[in-house]
Amino acid sequence: MKVDTLLVHSDRVNNDFYRSLRFPIYESVAFEFESSKDMENAFMGRSPSYFYSRISNPTISELERIVSSVTGAYGVVATSSGMSAISNVIMTIAGYGANIITSPFLFGNTYSLFEKTLKNFGLNVKYVDFSNVNEVEKAIDEKTVAIFFEVITNPQLAVFDIENICKIAKKYNLLTIADNTLPTFLLFSSKDWGVDIEVISSTKALSGGATSVGGLIIDYGTYDWSNNKFLKDYCDKYGRGAFIMRLKREVYRNLGACISPFTAYLNILGIETLSLRINKICDNAFNLANMLIEHPKVKNVNYPGLVSSKYYVNAKKYLKKYGPVLTIELDSKESCFRFIDNLKLIRRATNIYDNKTLVIHPSSTIFSEYTENKKLELGVSDNMIRFSIGIEDVEDLYQDIIHALEEV
Amino acid sequence: MKVIVNGERKEYEFDKISVLDLLRLNNVKNPDVVVVQINGNVCEKEFYSSTFVKDGDEVDFIYFVGGGQ
Repeated sequence: MKVDTLLVHSDRVNNDFYRSLRFPIYESVAFEFESSKDMENAFMGRSPSYFYSRISNPTISELERIVSSVTGAYGVVATSSGMSAISNVIMTIAGYGANIITSPFLFGNTYSLFEKTLKNFGLNVKYVDFSNVNEVEKAIDEKTVAIFFEVITNPQLAVFDIENICKIAKKYNLLTIADNTLPTFLLFSSKDWGVDIEVISSTKALSGGATSVGGLIIDYGTYDWSNNKFLKDYCDKYGRGAFIMRLKREVYRNLGACISPFTAYLNILGIETLSLRINKICDNAFNLANMLIEHPKVKNVNYPGLVSSKYYVNAKKYLKKYGPVLTIELDSKESCFRFIDNLKLIRRATNIYDNKTLVIHPSSTIFSEYTENKKLELGVSDNMIRFSIGIEDVEDLYQDIIHALEEV
Repeated sequence: MKVIVNGERKEYEFDKISVLDLLRLNNVKNPDVVVVQINGNVCEKEFYSSTFVKDGDEVDFIYFVGGGQ
């Protein structure tokens, strides 16, 4: 089956007791048992029964099953947010003294998680220039456990040479983790290019147009966990299931990272229309980026699908389309603020893959906790404006931007 | 043959049985969502149909999705 059909019919195996065509929302914390023995079996993982919704829930399992079916994953775990997906993965595969290698081109909160939150627990993060794969290789040492990157970085919109980065990881038996939020598994196939673990903020595209906060961890079952000392015991017991087992039966459970059944339901609905929305959004973003290139007040348009992008060759190689985000640069922060305030149609809000087009000034918002020098290191200038393109008519978006630019 | 499945002694009329068939007999509707151990050794998914359980073996299967088949 083609992916567009799978998105709609992955619920073909009807798991609902009443065979409801829309899988229901099981909004219950606890589930009861006929006997103590049944309860024991459920707690030990020996039966598929549910017992407590922080651990598992029928609606959440249905979402995980659908994503697994669409992606061909070994195991999927839905989480409370995209950030929760990242933190749960890192806390499952790493520990005190270990390090991971990543690019400084990251979502602001991911950088903060690495640099502030997890650092206090003894995790080291090495930031290297991923444009040069030799730099990635040079940074590897005996304590390195994983290489982490965003498939399209946000908001820098870099697309690195993923195939060669994954080859280096494999050469040193390292895990590769990719944040696939911007392309999603529709535009970038982790499995085909050698990524072992994929994380997605399902808040964005999957939720049906930014309807609710959620995340996904997708394990493609490709990594040999005997190479990871933090999962050695789990590997001995569960083999290829080591990561999912430790995640589900320890880290996810103990951190309380569960998504709500209602959000899982919205994600299930959103997945059905995922392809329609992503295609429209990416077409809009591509057209808008091209329409803005020549504007005299726009100093730069950054979009991976533009031939002028530094990352165009990689983007063309790895992505089916180029994503929902584009950035422009004006001559100053003041001009950016004036422009944003002049917009009549485009909404001032932070998110991606909303059905509505959104605008934000990343430097003064998402990256506001960092110094000016640090922001530049992270690829965020004071002159940058980020658009998350929606599903509107592109001509209306263009007119709104042109009128707002007139008064700058 | 006698096999211990998830801690329970079970008796089957066969001399040997594949892991896949054993899972089905034990109502595991989707074998993709369990991890199987035979006498403490992991049996990976791709070997479920080619690995056979013998008399006296101890088999454990554990759901890793935490419910839902």
